[in-house]
Amino acid sequence: MSKLTRREWLKLTLAGAGAALTPWPWRTLASAATASPPDLVISHGKSPALITEAALQALGGMSRFVSRGDVVLVKPNIAWDRTPAQAATTNPEVVATLVRLCLTAGAKEVKVFDHPCEDPRRSYVRSGIMEAAKEAGAKVSYVDARRFRKMNLKGEALQDWEVYKEAVEVDKIINCPILKHHTAARLTMGMKNLMGLIGGDRSRLHWHLDEAIVDLAAFFKPTLIVLDAVRILTANGPQGGSLKYVKELNTVAAGVDQVAVDAMGAKLFGLQPGDMDHLHIASTRGLGRMDLGKLRIKEVTTNS
Amino acid sequence: MTAYKGTDEIAYPIRIFLHFDPLILITTFLSSHGIPLALLLSLITVSFTLVFGRVFCGWVCPLGTLNDFMGRLTPKKRRKKHLGDQARRVKYYILIFVLVSSLFTLQITGLADPISLLIRSLAVAVEPAVNLMTHTVFDLLYRADIPVVTAISEAIYALLKKHILAFHQPFFYQGIFIGLIFAAILLANLYRRRFWCTALCPLGALLGLITQISPFKRVVGKGCTSCNLCVRECRTGAAADVKGKWKKSECVMCGECQEDCPEDAVRFGFLPAKAGKVTGVDWGRRGVIASFISGIFVVPLMRTNPLTKRRKGSLIRPPGALPEAEFLRRCVRCGECMKVCLTNGLQPALFEAGLEGIWTPRFDFHSGYCQYYCTLCGQVCPTGALRELSQEEKARTKIGLAYIDKNRCIPYAQGVECLVCEEHCPTPDKAIKFEQVETRTPGGRKLIRRPVVDLKLCIGCGICEYKCPLHDQPAIICTRLGESRADELLPF
Repeated sequence: MSKLTRREWLKLTLAGAGAALTPWPWRTLASAATASPPDLVISHGKSPALITEAALQALGGMSRFVSRGDVVLVKPNIAWDRTPAQAATTNPEVVATLVRLCLTAGAKEVKVFDHPCEDPRRSYVRSGIMEAAKEAGAKVSYVDARRFRKMNLKGEALQDWEVYKEAVEVDKIINCPILKHHTAARLTMGMKNLMGLIGGDRSRLHWHLDEAIVDLAAFFKPTLIVLDAVRILTANGPQGGSLKYVKELNTVAAGVDQVAVDAMGAKLFGLQPGDMDHLHIASTRGLGRMDLGKLRIKEVTTNS
Repeated sequence: MTAYKGTDEIAYPIRIFLHFDPLILITTFLSSHGIPLALLLSLITVSFTLVFGRVFCGWVCPLGTLNDFMGRLTPKKRRKKHLGDQARRVKYYILIFVLVSSLFTLQITGLADPISLLIRSLAVAVEPAVNLMTHTVFDLLYRADIPVVTAISEAIYALLKKHILAFHQPFFYQGIFIGLIFAAILLANLYRRRFWCTALCPLGALLGLITQISPFKRVVGKGCTSCNLCVRECRTGAAADVKGKWKKSECVMCGECQEDCPEDAVRFGFLPAKAGKVTGVDWGRRGVIASFISGIFVVPLMRTNPLTKRRKGSLIRPPGALPEAEFLRRCVRCGECMKVCLTNGLQPALFEAGLEGIWTPRFDFHSGYCQYYCTLCGQVCPTGALRELSQEEKARTKIGLAYIDKNRCIPYAQGVECLVCEEHCPTPDKAIKFEQVETRTPGGRKLIRRPVVDLKLCIGCGICEYKCPLHDQPAIICTRLGESRADELLPF
């Protein structure tokens, strides 16, 4: 090993001191490294965009989930021909913020699509998601019937089923469902939202709905789940239509554990996570944890 | 054709042609005693015809343009031949027939009106077929996944998909039937050029009659050598040399004879009554009387059908449809409503509404349903047979009611929960509700939820029938009972 010259030694010392004294980036990095991010973040506040940003920050930033060059699918719920105020589709600002954060984190491309139950053109427009996501820089597309492939999902209710190829080909999936009432599944949140990534005769899944939902969650394994509870639909879901069933919670819940996020959704809705059959099945199958008492939950509030 | 982008209003220029169609104006007025204001635009067509002759046929009518295009393929030896006078009379008989029958409230003009016929044929037959063909070709290339070729074909496909191809492949029951008639009309050009326009078109006949008093004339001057070039080349057989008579009511004012004449002897212009030799309308008294009488008798003949007395439950009309009798007096079967229907649920009727209602729109919940907030069909209807509804009105309008077939419905018949109909029900308070009951199954007693229809809330949109997982024969079915326009007394 060669000796350091005095000049080099001085340079090194100065650089080190400079780095140590520079307050902000080092300290956040250090704190992020020591205190590992929480299991679940609940973010409250008036602005859907700001609380989404705050939730991601509390989770350790989008760069924890999205790497440079990734192709990311941000999967909202655009299932119905309804306006954001009717709370049947994901809040467009939440979707747009996620798109923006992904791109800032270095994603090569962010895709946004869903396989709606009603006319896709109307659903994309009326939900406000197409416009907001496009503006944020996402590639918004309609589902192309040719791109479904029969795949083995290795599930309990779902074996061979048609899956949308693009959803399997992306590097990361960020699931951003809305929290709302659903008669068959009681609530529809993250795991149920994945039904928008498959084709086939989806109505027949309702005969084994709870198992099918868990099969989908186990198959797609989204990287991150951001549950929109800005406005929730408390009854007559999944499409509602009347504002009298809409309640403003001004909240977003986020985490990497899909069962935990959905369990939190149930709690926000006023139900016990254990009331939901599909949550029960999912946690028994080891897909995640629904016991909120044992999770590290961080609550943040953003006022603007 | 404008592609629909998902907004509430549609920018739809196609019906504009119908608004310029005076035959639709007159027959709609005769049969329904009402005048949709937009149809008054056709008075422009009438005034142009009064002054310049059948310019509409030669320069505006899209079917005429298509016929001219096909006429280029007419074999040489047949190009010089023209239809005889007998055949030319048929169009007047058709005109008289539809005018008289519409006077007696039967509106079947749309079957032969060229604009309705063309729009219908394009919407129900040509577009679906072309769309399917294009899809099949690009699908094949997509599946083959040939390195460079597929990349190019996919780029073209994306472009076509964005601007030309339909969003969903359309399917129509009468596609082949309507398509064959359209093909026959086009192929008739190979026998005689503009066969449809000279022999059959009732609008052409109407404009031909109007043009009789027009001061615009064709005159053949002294330079004529009777070379007969103009006579041979005339697409409708209207031209004549200096000795012959010009068939004014047959001339579509294309101006070709003037251009072709080697002696520059042909002239068009405003000329005194005596100038030029002109034949009047030759329609034969017997034929006129026969078509007049058949126009009268076709009305009761068509209506002595049990369906006139009582409609079948399965005949569900689009929202905004006028009461059935009035609706039939206005609908010209142009097929625009079927074309714009987002779910492909509107289909042309065959005999479901009697022969009188052939090709009128009906809902078929096997092929689609009525989208809750969509009001497109009322927006495009040219005659007001379908009223334009606001979204609030639309949400209140019942087109029928849903019934559960308990022998098939899964929760009733199998004791297994299903709930798909409830999930899709678009009414904000859910017209499909649940009752929780204890059922006995081979595995023991258990609690399940079964769907029940709340007839007060149901609007009959048919999404439950369409989405029912029992596709072969849905366990929930909509019928026309309870439709708002019928204003019937109901048990609830």
